[in-house]
Amino acid sequence: MIYSAAVIARVRDPKYAGWLPRDAPDVGTGEAGTLDSGTMARIQIRVEESTRRIDQAVFKVFGCSAAIASASLVTERLRGAPVDRVREIDALTVVAELALPPERASVAALAVTAARHAVEDWERKHDRNL
Amino acid sequence: MTNPRPIYLDYHATTPVDGAVLDAMLPFFSDRFGNAASRQYRYGWDAQAAVDTGRSAVAALIGADAKDIVFTSGATEANNLALKGLAEVSGPGRNHFVTIATEHKSVLDTCKRLERDGCRTTVLPVNGDGSIDLEQLRASVTGQTVAVSVMAANNEIGVLAPLREIAEIAHAKGALVHSDAVQAAGKVPFDVNALSVDLASLTAHKLYGPKGVGALYVRRKNPRVTLAPLFDGGGHERGMRSGTLNVPGIVGFGAAALLAREQMPGEAARLTQLRDRLLAGLKKHVSDLVVNGCLEARLPGNLNVSFPGVDGEALLVSLCEDVAVSSGAACTAADPSHVLKALGRKTDLALASLRFGLGRWTTAEEVDAAIAHVATAVNRLRAMTPV
Repeated sequence: MIYSAAVIARVRDPKYAGWLPRDAPDVGTGEAGTLDSGTMARIQIRVEESTRRIDQAVFKVFGCSAAIASASLVTERLRGAPVDRVREIDALTVVAELALPPERASVAALAVTAARHAVEDWERKHDRNL
Repeated sequence: MTNPRPIYLDYHATTPVDGAVLDAMLPFFSDRFGNAASRQYRYGWDAQAAVDTGRSAVAALIGADAKDIVFTSGATEANNLALKGLAEVSGPGRNHFVTIATEHKSVLDTCKRLERDGCRTTVLPVNGDGSIDLEQLRASVTGQTVAVSVMAANNEIGVLAPLREIAEIAHAKGALVHSDAVQAAGKVPFDVNALSVDLASLTAHKLYGPKGVGALYVRRKNPRVTLAPLFDGGGHERGMRSGTLNVPGIVGFGAAALLAREQMPGEAARLTQLRDRLLAGLKKHVSDLVVNGCLEARLPGNLNVSFPGVDGEALLVSLCEDVAVSSGAACTAADPSHVLKALGRKTDLALASLRFGLGRWTTAEEVDAAIAHVATAVNRLRAMTPV
C-alpha cells in the first residue's frame, strides 16, 4: 500500500491525538467502529457555549494509517468550526483530501460518524443543562 | 526530523551490491562482453573463463564441486527447477514430496503445482518456535518420497534447520534432500557434504551480489542427481538450464561469494551482537513484545518481533521514513505472514510484526536509532488506542 504524503504526515505526527474528560458538560464524545473489528475511532469536542464553536477537538483511534489520518483530519476540520456545521463534513471530502484508496473509504466514514456522534453527545448534555 | 534515507534493516529482502563486486562485474557489461558459449574466439573464451571463476567461487562457498553448480536467474527458478525437475524424472512409484509450512512461497507454490500435476505433497507444520518436529518428518517420509525440501534458514524468522538430521531421515527411505539456502549461504556455515544435501538453491542478491542471478547445486556423485530442465534450448548448464549465461551476474555472484566466505566468521559474530543489542533495546523501551522463532538456532542478523495492540500496517507507515523494515517476506507483505501463522500467531499479531534483517553495513548507531524509532512508533500507536 502506498499512501499519500498527507496520510504519512498525520500518522507520523498525529497532532490532535488525545482525550478530554468525558463527563465534562461542555465535552461531547463520539465513537464509531469496534476494536474487535480492527478499526475504532473516538472523537471528542469541547464547545464554547456562547459562540457554539468548537474550541478543542481530539481523537483516539485504533486501526490502519487511513483510519489514523482520517480521524486526525476530521479533528483539524472540527477545531474552530461552528458546532452546527459539523454535519457538513463528509467522508468523500476526507477521502479526497487524503487521497485514500477507494477501499479505505469506510474508515474515513468512521471518523466522520464519530464526529457526528460527538456533536449529538454534546447537544444532549447541552439540552439537559438549558 | 526526517532522515534523508531510512535506516536499512531489511537485508533479508535484498542487499546492496558490494563495491568490490560491482567493480568486478563492470567490464563484463562492455569491454568483455562475450558470450560464454562462443567457443570460436577470444571473446567467448574470456567470458567462459570468467564464468568458471565465478562458478568455482560459488561452489567453494557451499563446499561443492564447481561442476555441481547450475546457474539460474535466481532462487525462485532454482527452487522450481529442483522440485519440478525431480518430479519429471522420478521413477514409477515415487511421486511424493515433503516440505514444511514455513517454506518460501516459491517452494510451497511449486508443491501446489506438483499436486495439480498428479504428485502428492506433505506440508508439515512446525513447532511454536519455528523448529521442525523430526519424528513427524520421519513418519511422513516413505519409500514413495522423491525429496524432502527444507530451507536452511527461514527468511522471516531466521530459524536454522537441522539439515544433517533431516538428510539422514530422507536418505534412509531413498529420498533426496533439497534446501533453499538463500538466507543461510554466506551468513552461516552451509556445506553440502557435511550436511548431506543433494540440491540447494542460492541467489546472489542476498549476499551483496547482483539481482537476477542464482544457482542450483545439483549433486553429481553419491548419489548422482538428475533433473529435467524447465526450459528447452541450447542445453547449457549440463542440459539443466538452457539460456545464454548472465556473465556479469555470474562474475558478481562469484565475487560476492568469495567476500562472504572470507568475512563470515567475523561478520556472524558482529551481527549477533547487534541483533542482541536490538532485542535488548526494544525490550527496554517497549512492553509486551513477542519474539517470533527460537533465538538459539537462528541467523545472526535476524530478529522478528510482534507488538500486541498495534495495527501492523500503521506501524509500518509510522516507520517508513525512518527505518526500512518489513512485516514479512517482501513478496507477501500484503497478507499476514504464513510463517507467523504457522507458528500459531493470530492474524492481528502476525500483522503487527516486524522483521529486522541486519547486514554488512549495519552499525550500532543505526541499531540504537532504530530502537528509538520503533519504540516511539509502537508506544504512540498504543497510546492512541481508544480504551
